[in-house]
Amino acid sequence: MALTIFALVLLLYVGVGAFIARYVKNSDDFYTMGGRGSTLLIVGTLAATYLSAATLLGIAGVSYAEGPLVIATLGSFGAWIGTLLAVVYVGRKMKALNCKTMPDFFDKRFNNKWVSIIAIVIMIVGLVGYGVIQFIGAGLVLSEITGINFKLLIVLFTVALIAFTAFGGMYGVVVTDTLMFFTMLAISVVIAPMIIGQAGFEQMKGLSETLPNFWTIGGTEDRSIGWSISQFLVWILFFTCMPALVSRVFPAKNDFVILKTAIIGVFFAPFMQLTVFIAAGGMQVLKPNITPADNAMIVGFMEFTSPAIAGVGLAALMASIMSTASTLFVLVGFALSRDLYERLFEKELNEKQSLTAARIGQVIVAVIICAIAIAQPSAIYWISIYAGSIFAVGWLPTIVASFEWKKMNSKAASISMVAGVASFILFGELIKAGIMTLPTGVDELMLALLVSVATLIIAALVTKPTTYELNYFTEMKSTGMAKITIQEFMKQPDGLQKIKKQYKQIITVSVLFTFISVVVWGYFFIKLGL
Amino acid sequence: MNVEVLILFLNATLVTVVSSIVVIAILRKQYLPVIRELEKKEGQEAKVEDEDKHIKSNI
Repeated sequence: MALTIFALVLLLYVGVGAFIARYVKNSDDFYTMGGRGSTLLIVGTLAATYLSAATLLGIAGVSYAEGPLVIATLGSFGAWIGTLLAVVYVGRKMKALNCKTMPDFFDKRFNNKWVSIIAIVIMIVGLVGYGVIQFIGAGLVLSEITGINFKLLIVLFTVALIAFTAFGGMYGVVVTDTLMFFTMLAISVVIAPMIIGQAGFEQMKGLSETLPNFWTIGGTEDRSIGWSISQFLVWILFFTCMPALVSRVFPAKNDFVILKTAIIGVFFAPFMQLTVFIAAGGMQVLKPNITPADNAMIVGFMEFTSPAIAGVGLAALMASIMSTASTLFVLVGFALSRDLYERLFEKELNEKQSLTAARIGQVIVAVIICAIAIAQPSAIYWISIYAGSIFAVGWLPTIVASFEWKKMNSKAASISMVAGVASFILFGELIKAGIMTLPTGVDELMLALLVSVATLIIAALVTKPTTYELNYFTEMKSTGMAKITIQEFMKQPDGLQKIKKQYKQIITVSVLFTFISVVVWGYFFIKLGL
Repeated sequence: MNVEVLILFLNATLVTVVSSIVVIAILRKQYLPVIRELEKKEGQEAKVEDEDKHIKSNI
């Protein structure tokens, strides 16, 4: 059965890739699906990107072993708020500035090659380090389930991914992500409730007796509150400027789609995660001592649901891997073809050449990542330690200051990005070597962020922005998604009526999802907290 | 009552509440004044058109 599902899912992606290719007529379609993304597609791609293989394996494993509150209460909460900020603050602003990729913003804001190069290097290293490790980890698990040789499995994945990333670009990723979103949703609305139902709320609550602190934020390992707060900071800072999330806003049709996504997409973040974590906790009742703990959810749907539902679970696991990998492929490919080749090397390409360059970029990246995943060089594990937080210390202070501070300039951006990343790695290595120790609750990320912010402020105060930077800042401040959307709507017949209709729709959506949220989480609280 | 479980589900609810508040604030600040202004403009245009029609019919 596992093999059949594996083959079907891969075929589906290849089929969708081939189908989508006909809609990709120019580079705009390839990079931002021509700005045609509906609410369903943008919510789908955001939620699918959010729910990575790490949620279903690693974090579910921690929830199983130490308790569902350990990461979810503060760490995941930071990620949820970070997702909201990525959509409504960073993504919305960059979309208004007509950015097609995140490095586009650095290029437009500073018009400085060094800033762009540093930003692109941070993005490539961050994405590869964060994504490849998940690709390898989840691939190993899947290889065990399907019995397919790991190397062959990675090659098959890569071929399927090339089929829709190289032909469909962001268009292919958004559509397949939305399909994956519905598959993953099956875990939250079908599989997780089945596991929780079999475990029973009372039995789950009773775990505190056999596993002390199972229902506390510290968990069975009795982690300090400082650790949890640090997790909150890591995730909120990382997710706010994570390219995988921010770039999901760029294909949106208009501001109303972004605002609806901010409510619906952000609702699905805790919905999809928490149900999995609670079910992983339920697995502790049904089958204690699963080793490794990362396999808790897989054991859950393979052994405690019917074969058909287990198949859906397996497809969802594959969807989470494909979603993470496709994001990695497509964004690194964009960095290569658009940000490096077209913009930095100042290549004058026509539409056809630009599209070809973008597709070649995808194939090159896919082959390189496939080779890294198969060879598993030790360097990739070293990079992965720092990759997740590299955006928080490297990009975030520069992005926020670029949005809000008139004095912000290219020198401050370069110094802050380099100092943030370098100090983060240095502190990390010193702590690992035992040369440096930090008080409980303080970690290298906080220190590096402090370094990044301090160097940015000092450098911006002692240097001056160029005329270009000052002009762009003024232009940026007068540009907004609301203004653009109103102008677009007013060009249409009955434009005002359409704006008013959207306005009312969004108010209804916000009330509805707040109500659903209160009901869902209120129910779980009554069952598990009272 | 387990307060830590309460914090977990309160946070999960809070995310949707916060996102709704942020979005409504954006709508009220960036869209509502423009909608009102456009409504006023449309109203004035309609009034002028009515007056024109009225004058023409009198003539």
